[in-house]
Amino acid sequence: MNQAECTQQTSSQAAPTPPAIRLGNIDKSFTNGNQTIEVLKNVNLTVSPQAIVGLIGASGSGKSTLLNIISGIMKPDRGQVCIYGAPSEEFNDWRSVSYMFQDDRLLPWRTAIRNVEFALEADSMPKNERARRAFEALQLVELEGFEDAFPYQLSGGMRSRVALARSLVTEPRILLMDEPFSRLDAQTRMLMHEELLRIHQLKRMTVVFVTHDVAEAVLLADQVAVMSPRPGTIREVVDITPPRPRDITRPEVTSTMQRLRALI
Amino acid sequence: MAKNSTELIDAKLPAQPLFRGLRPDLVGQRLVLVVAVIGIWWLSSLSVPHYILPGPARVWDALQLIVTNGDLWNNLGITLWRVAVGFTVAALIGLPFGIVLGANRRAGEFFEPVIPVLNTVSSAIWAIFAIIWFGISNATTIFVVFMTAMPLIITNVWQGTRTVNADFIELAQVLRMPQWKVMTKIYLPTILPYFFSGARLAFGFGWRVSLVAETIGSSSGVGYRLRQAADLIRTDQVFAWTLTLVIMMAIIEMGMMKPLENYLFRWKKDAEAQ
Ligand SMILES: Nc1ncnc2c1ncn2[C@@H]1O[C@H](COP(=O)(O)OP(=O)(O)OP(=O)(O)O)[C@@H](O)[C@H]1O
Ligand SMILES: [Mg+2]
Repeated sequence: MNQAECTQQTSSQAAPTPPAIRLGNIDKSFTNGNQTIEVLKNVNLTVSPQAIVGLIGASGSGKSTLLNIISGIMKPDRGQVCIYGAPSEEFNDWRSVSYMFQDDRLLPWRTAIRNVEFALEADSMPKNERARRAFEALQLVELEGFEDAFPYQLSGGMRSRVALARSLVTEPRILLMDEPFSRLDAQTRMLMHEELLRIHQLKRMTVVFVTHDVAEAVLLADQVAVMSPRPGTIREVVDITPPRPRDITRPEVTSTMQRLRALI
Repeated sequence: MAKNSTELIDAKLPAQPLFRGLRPDLVGQRLVLVVAVIGIWWLSSLSVPHYILPGPARVWDALQLIVTNGDLWNNLGITLWRVAVGFTVAALIGLPFGIVLGANRRAGEFFEPVIPVLNTVSSAIWAIFAIIWFGISNATTIFVVFMTAMPLIITNVWQGTRTVNADFIELAQVLRMPQWKVMTKIYLPTILPYFFSGARLAFGFGWRVSLVAETIGSSSGVGYRLRQAADLIRTDQVFAWTLTLVIMMAIIEMGMMKPLENYLFRWKKDAEAQ
């Protein structure tokens, strides 16, 4: 496909701006030795600008693979990825796309703050400006006082919060997150949910996040995409309509959760 | 960063000293060991002629002589200089070469057999070649140190390059980092510990083989002085030179290499503490 195909299909839509992310007929399989596994099969997904989309599905259904493909570090076998109306290969503002991996990927030889700064080092930027922004990002994830700790000195939850700070520090237009809160305790997780929604109110970035927690998906997302396992396809995209802040004890919220559970 | 944040850290994190604190009980143990060795040395020297085994007092006199007449500093200086030059050249060639061999599969496969072969050639053989090629000169010792140190550094750096974490490369890829930044920000820090241990090994070996080279291919330096003292059967001087070498090595190893390593690699989980 080409540029025309990325924009053409969007021009027929009512929205004047192209979707932030558009996936068209994505296939992906892996070959391990002599066996080939089909991981993604004909995946279609459209994410509007500024939307928060949750991605849920069984383990191994290809959620991480899908984020890898959106971020451009993995090529699909077939199909088209469009970012803001441009084919992935031609899109040139990748530094406005952040990807928080499923593992924290902190560089062990760097302190927490230097790990956050890493995301700003692709471009040139004054050193103190970089440090200031990294410090603010660490404050955001409640890690003041741990700037100079090395990763081995931090707990798993703290490490994933450093990774979260690293993905936020660039103030991305698109934020991809692979199970960003799965290693946090309930208390911190709630704080981070509030923080994410607050930042989203402020910056209005597009968010795609993977989670295994249906309640989390329903609390945060505008839409939840449910993936079926092997080969992974988007089984259904469910709109989450109740206004925020959402309360998981409210009947309209619990009924949505039940519906999602049934779909997985 | 806010000033008061450092205080917070101090309260929460274990201190990272440049020098590890000396344990008093360990210092005591070491002292006892030194006294015991000198005692046994003194006792054995009583029953043999001094040109076979000079006593501590005689060696002390010889040591004082070479210190006061400047012999020690001149020769130690020239030897150290030769080792440093050979070692530096080895590091400057070995580091990039090791990275290329590790990062480029074809280059690695092609050169793979060369390193073990180089490692098995004895330093004495390099010394003989060096005399044939360079005669009695600084270059002889430098060459031997270089030929001994370089394969060690290459081997270690090569190994280090293979441990570079593909996930970190992917992280840099997501950030669209330019290739040279990936080299300096991911490859280099990963390789550094391997380079460092290779360099330490190489420096130790280089220092030892420099003496061999100097005994046969030089008219100055500690190795030359050692042979001279041996030729004149001045065993007390042989002991004095040996002692200065041991002290010198201990100072470099414990006073410079170890603290530097502790500081550079303070991000590593301390395995000894577990
Ligand atoms: N690089 C790879 N090489 C080979 N197989 C892979 C690779 N990456 C993923 N897979 C396979 O693709 C399938 C989907 O993996 P993926 O990580 O996308 O799942 P997931 O939905 O993120 O699972 P989880 O919820 O456990 O994180 C798995 O069967 C996995 O073994
Ligand atoms: Mg995953």
